[in-house]
Amino acid sequence: MNSKRKDLFWNIFLVVFLLSVAAGIYASSKKVDYIWRWNRLPQYVVYKDIQEVRAPSDGIVSVSGKTVKITPPGSRSTPVLLENVKGISVRNGDTVFEGDVLAKNESYKLGPLLTGLLITLEISVYSIFFAIIIGVCTGLARISRNPFLKKLAIFYIELIRGTPLLVQIFIFYYFIGTIFNLGRMTAGVMALSVFTGAYIAEIVRAGIQSVHKGQMEAARSLGMSYTVAMLLVILPQAFRRTLPPMAGQFISLIKDSSLVSVISITDLTKSGREIVASTFSPFEVWFTVAALYLVLTSLLSYLVQLLEKKMSAQDK
Amino acid sequence: MIKATDVVKIYPNGVKALKGVSLEVAPQEVLVVIGPSGSGKSTILRALNLLEEVQDGEITIDGESLTHPKTNINKIREEVGMVFQSFNLFPHKTVLQNITMAPIHVKKMKKTEAIQVAEDLLKKVGLSDKRDVYPGQLSGGQQQRVAIARALAMKPKVMLFDEPTSALDPEMIGEVLDVMKELAKEGMTMVVVTHEMGFAREVADRIIFMDEGMKIEEDTPEEIYQNPKSERLKLFLSQIL
Repeated sequence: MNSKRKDLFWNIFLVVFLLSVAAGIYASSKKVDYIWRWNRLPQYVVYKDIQEVRAPSDGIVSVSGKTVKITPPGSRSTPVLLENVKGISVRNGDTVFEGDVLAKNESYKLGPLLTGLLITLEISVYSIFFAIIIGVCTGLARISRNPFLKKLAIFYIELIRGTPLLVQIFIFYYFIGTIFNLGRMTAGVMALSVFTGAYIAEIVRAGIQSVHKGQMEAARSLGMSYTVAMLLVILPQAFRRTLPPMAGQFISLIKDSSLVSVISITDLTKSGREIVASTFSPFEVWFTVAALYLVLTSLLSYLVQLLEKKMSAQDK
Repeated sequence: MIKATDVVKIYPNGVKALKGVSLEVAPQEVLVVIGPSGSGKSTILRALNLLEEVQDGEITIDGESLTHPKTNINKIREEVGMVFQSFNLFPHKTVLQNITMAPIHVKKMKKTEAIQVAEDLLKKVGLSDKRDVYPGQLSGGQQQRVAIARALAMKPKVMLFDEPTSALDPEMIGEVLDVMKELAKEGMTMVVVTHEMGFAREVADRIIFMDEGMKIEEDTPEEIYQNPKSERLKLFLSQIL
């Protein structure tokens, strides 16, 4: 068998394998006493929001453009003007009574699953940003010759890596948050960035140390200071090498952000929990939540791959 | 131009790489340092711009002391160009950017001026057509010529060469040596650590032979080759020639 036909065989085998796993899951879910109600989910993704404008008083309607004028019976009373009304459903000359519907607006709004997704995205973006800053600074301190900086960095990294993130989130929210009067969002972002920063610091350190020592020597021999050599020569090269492990760390961060739901941030996970409470459909909800996380993380790794390709184009 | 007196280098593991080496280089002179591997010849060269910290002794370049604690070492390094065995070009920058980086960021030269300097230097080393490629796309010999141009862009008073041809394929050694000969002819002060005996004989004003961290002999090329005095130099020459 040539290798192409062998590949084809194994690819078909993979599809068959995955299909049978799916069939197995489906069959076993039939055995438990659970009614699947996928139809309940879409309203939590987007829903139709209906806003009605009702008549404030009795009278006769006259419509001009977006303005509705209601003239109450009897000549002495003053007409009521409603401006900028959309979706008007009454016509000129109609008689309305107080509480009648004058206009009906329909608009689509993001359901809790999508707003939760946006919160998760927001937390992740802020945390990644601060984690990079903390990580690069700590990574540089970690390889510094200054014992104060070096030991401080080691202490921070060991402290963070040695304690659970969940506990750190609690400490940031209940302890530090109380002292400095921080909101839950701030505390959550801080906990996540401080946590991820420690891991990024190690990645940055490894990246810098993987750049050949001759690069620093060449830069210094041209009269560059340590800082300039670091910024222009070492860090750009280290950055390219650390891109794949960094991407892994960022993906971890997006997933770890689900833990901030414990301090009542309505992120994707907390939204999921709330929807389960109102629908009693945990299977559907958690599968959907997982899929939404997968969308975020796949998007991120796709972007990093693009960046990697772009940067490696200069190499050879 | 360069004066080193009793330079001592001890590595943290206790190995004495230099046991009190003195040397002197006059302006426009070409000094070649030879010796077996581990003799300290690269260490003394690297000490001349303090890439290697020294524990004792004094080094002055153009009258300025390197070893004085108050010296701004970056300022002195601007005046001392260095070419490495492994080229050490910046792989993430183009050839032109490699050459203009230090003049722009260290000497604060205007970008247009730095590019002009770089283009002139590339012409000199015969690589004008390669200005916009990345080092990874060049052969070893071409990379080393770019490295020489990069060092020259700072308009140094002294050039140090640390085995510039040792990492090259044999057919590329010539092109690098030609550039160095050209430089020597123009009157550049040079210190060269090399195994290229032909080059040493042709270009050197003086040769220093080192072994085990000490200067064993110092003389003109003719004397070194035809009239070696120490046994160790005789042995070294018999092995290498």
